Amino acid sequence: MSDHPTIKIIARFWPHALLAIVLVLPLFGDAIATKLTPIMVFAIVGLGLNVVAGFTGLLNLGAAAFMAIGAYTFAICTVPIYPFQIGFWPGLGVAIMVGAVAGTILALPAMRLRGDYLAIVTLGFGEIITDVLKNLDAITKGTQGLNPVAAPEIPFVTYSISAYKPTYYLYLALLLVAILLCHNMRKSRLGRQWIAVRDDELAARSMGISPARTKLIAFAIGSGLCAFGGAMFASLNGTSIEPSFYDFQQSVVILCIVIVGGMGNVKGVILGALIMVGFNSIILVNLTEWMTRNGWTGNNVLATPSNWKFMIFGLALILMMRLRPQGLIPAQDVEPVTQKPATAGATP
Amino acid sequence: MTTTELIIQLLITGLANGLIIALIALGYTMVYGIIELINFAHGDVMMLGCFLALTIVGLCGGEQLSPWIALPLLFLTVPFFTAGLNWSVEKLAYKPIREAPKLTALVSAIGVSFVFINIGMFWGGLPMDVFGGGGSAASAKSFPDLFGWSNLLGEQSAVLLTPRDVMVAAVTIPLMIGLTFFINRTRMGTAMRAVAQNPTAAKLMGIDVDRVIGLTFIIGGALAGVASVITALYTGSIHFQMGYRNGMDAFTAAVLGGIGNLPGAVLGALLIGLVRAVMEGYVPNGGQWSNTVVFALLILVLVFRPNGILGSRVREKV
Amino acid sequence: MRSWMTSTMRLLVGSALGTIFGSALIAVDTITIVSSLPRTGSANAQTTSMVNGIKMALDEYQRTLTVGGTNYSLTYEDWDDASPERGAWDPAVEAANADKAIRNPDVMVYIGTYNSGAAKIAMPKLNQAGLAMISPANTWPGLTKPNVGEANEPTVYRPSGSINYFRVVPADDIQGAVGAAWAKELGAKRVFVLHDRELYGQGIAKMFQQNAEKLGLTVVGTEGIDGKSGNYKSLINKLRLARPDLVYFGGTTETGAGQLAKDMQSGGLTAKLMGPDAFYNSALINAAGNAALENRVFITFGGIPPEQQTGKGKAFVDAYRTVYKIEPEGYAIYAYECTKVALDAMVRAGKKDRAAILQALRETKNYDGALGKWSFDDNGDTTLALMSGNTVVNGAFSFVKLLGQ
Repeated sequence: MSDHPTIKIIARFWPHALLAIVLVLPLFGDAIATKLTPIMVFAIVGLGLNVVAGFTGLLNLGAAAFMAIGAYTFAICTVPIYPFQIGFWPGLGVAIMVGAVAGTILALPAMRLRGDYLAIVTLGFGEIITDVLKNLDAITKGTQGLNPVAAPEIPFVTYSISAYKPTYYLYLALLLVAILLCHNMRKSRLGRQWIAVRDDELAARSMGISPARTKLIAFAIGSGLCAFGGAMFASLNGTSIEPSFYDFQQSVVILCIVIVGGMGNVKGVILGALIMVGFNSIILVNLTEWMTRNGWTGNNVLATPSNWKFMIFGLALILMMRLRPQGLIPAQDVEPVTQKPATAGATP
Repeated sequence: MTTTELIIQLLITGLANGLIIALIALGYTMVYGIIELINFAHGDVMMLGCFLALTIVGLCGGEQLSPWIALPLLFLTVPFFTAGLNWSVEKLAYKPIREAPKLTALVSAIGVSFVFINIGMFWGGLPMDVFGGGGSAASAKSFPDLFGWSNLLGEQSAVLLTPRDVMVAAVTIPLMIGLTFFINRTRMGTAMRAVAQNPTAAKLMGIDVDRVIGLTFIIGGALAGVASVITALYTGSIHFQMGYRNGMDAFTAAVLGGIGNLPGAVLGALLIGLVRAVMEGYVPNGGQWSNTVVFALLILVLVFRPNGILGSRVREKV
Repeated sequence: MRSWMTSTMRLLVGSALGTIFGSALIAVDTITIVSSLPRTGSANAQTTSMVNGIKMALDEYQRTLTVGGTNYSLTYEDWDDASPERGAWDPAVEAANADKAIRNPDVMVYIGTYNSGAAKIAMPKLNQAGLAMISPANTWPGLTKPNVGEANEPTVYRPSGSINYFRVVPADDIQGAVGAAWAKELGAKRVFVLHDRELYGQGIAKMFQQNAEKLGLTVVGTEGIDGKSGNYKSLINKLRLARPDLVYFGGTTETGAGQLAKDMQSGGLTAKLMGPDAFYNSALINAAGNAALENRVFITFGGIPPEQQTGKGKAFVDAYRTVYKIEPEGYAIYAYECTKVALDAMVRAGKKDRAAILQALRETKNYDGALGKWSFDDNGDTTLALMSGNTVVNGAFSFVKLLGQ
């Protein structure tokens, strides 16, 4: 960070400003509310991945699979074709628990693995989950998805489903809870253990920290948060969507949310979600529409702006990594473990 | 079809697919061995190679082109192109951030992959006959049949062995032997192994690490180029999103065998090819489960041998 | 000076927000038609052709429409329901599109979606808002018909209790039956049914299989395949073991139809390949090449193919060729028909009012369009049950016969 006072002020107060803006923005119309709500969901999923990848340094390439577990659990708990129909809030609770259990089950055998091997196991797990959800169509209805799932509800308040503002504020509140939770966990004893295991497993072990236990808890909490986000997303869309929505590409998007903002940093994740999802569902969409409206798109494949999305997305990622490789807001406390040591290989 | 014939048939398909995966997996594993980067764009480099191959075939007369002209022509051009592409990617997207956290390079690689996918789509929109006149850029493109469909075992045989299957083996196996020789017996190969083991020490010994890394990307890219020619001829169609699936299989193969380990990558690839052949070609409804089985196998192998089947060489960092 | 600056600032911020969030500027003299189709990714060629079809319909009216004595200018917005990282339709984007259409009071008709899965998300939203939705391409029967799909279909898509969703394309229960009957006519006795495990493909494969069994054909195997697989050479081995004389693939060109045709040919399989309307696009011929398709592939398609039309259908194809210098894709004519019937309903409604236009659409009877003469039934389905059988000859689709008469 630069020492210039203006930048310092921005750096210090932008989260407050952002909070103020998001609190006020929906008053300008439902349009803004509907566009921003998915950002909250992805921010929560990003926070979940951040616990695993950012705090504990375990690269997880299957975050979307935990989202899927949350979404499908929530769906099975609330759709009319199953006898449970426990409603929005209990559904969220069950989704979090199932997500946490699934995370623990995956983490148990994976504890022996390090770095990229763990990454590929989580990737494989993600592929397996989408395939299983697709193939067990007796339960999951395959690619049709389960619907209608319970809509978001605020206790003691009734409002129409087409009123977007209550849902917006509800999801904002849930996001703030998740932020607070992550922030406090990071500062707690457990959070310091995560960082210790991430930065130097051997040293942490010699200090009496059990790395396996610490990692398991991180996986359980992180997966639970991802599942929470998945359930919220299902509720927002009224359906569990379909298995291939939660594929590897989705996991990559979630990973990018964490990395673009800055690994291991709660504020960074929020900024990352704002940028990644906002770029995709607000800026690009409106640019395309604006160009189309002005008749600048023709029959030529190059002249249609939506055809450039991959290119813009990709170039943005490359440039971002080149100009700010530690993410927009680098975690200040410690060097991430993913840093290649200067003496790579010198240790036995 | 008798049981023996069935087994032989599954072996032929499985090994042919496995050898193609192996060529791509070698590129992954070499790059990983040197700079510990999962080069996500590798599969897409191979995809762009396929598009170049189709362009060349299209320029030279399409279906009418004789395989005896087409093969040397493609093998002399496409690997150079993909090698150059891979090399420039390293220079532009990976080298400037080599000191950053490893994940940074991974995200950069994902970015490169997206850019290539987009280029592939635009390429498919070229107004050439082989691309369908440019009308539908995003659809799959048929690659002309240069070999015909004769069964080398005679038309009466239940087992089908086509010239394509033979071509796959005839190209890949000598290439792999040559690569093993290069890595183990030449000065440059020794330098590569040294950098893979310990870049700092290698630098101290006077090895130009940057050059070695560049060369690794060139070799990996060239292998991907060969793989793209073979894939295009073998499967007979190409698509701008083909890089993802091929890359994923190859990447899994590399990890299965022990990432950074060349024979391991080949072994892993053949295993994946065979598992898929059995699942898709024999087990009822196995096609929809073949991905699950491949990844479950991967998880099992890694749990019991955390460094892959042949991966004992990979050092553990503390 | 200061007040001038603040007002300028406000204007700038306001217009920036407006641009970003697509503010609804209310203009009384505009009727807006929107389409929500996957414009990024592999369905792009098909949807570009569909958008062209919509534009042609609007251009025929010179982009103006007289409704109840008032002149309205017609605006059209081409919305993408795909996202770049998915490369296909994205539920979040589709939901946002539906919401955006509901909020814009000028939007009178929502044309879409392409994927039946996307329709499931947009339908309940638009239904509650009472906005008409016409799909040129959804064929999942459960979207409109009771007792065909899931138990809660289609009521789950109609929270308001009335119908706002229409489609101009025959649903898959009809297509499956027609396909099975044609398979029998072609002399097939043993059929192998494949599907791509997607909503559309699996659905139509099921319909085909049920009807094939009813007609006494032997189904020698059913298999869900991976639409993204590099090649199907191993699968061919399984087919050879089962010795079918016809393979039905419930799938699309995007999920491997071309590759399957190629691999069937290279695997020495002489069985015929039959597929639904999602085969009927130039991308299939691009993907498989003529040799793998000529007189080997058999495709069912809703309505009489444009080439066989004499009246308005032929006029559409001719005009399309003239304007865009390329053949229209299979669904282009449906997109065109959607737009035409929507404009017709607006004129009949006599006012710019969503409810009135919806009512006029429900009352569409004996509409004489590019697809022939048809009506919307009580479910919102087209009464068009006539289908055509097609094959490929010389690298182009070739009409074989009319089906389902």
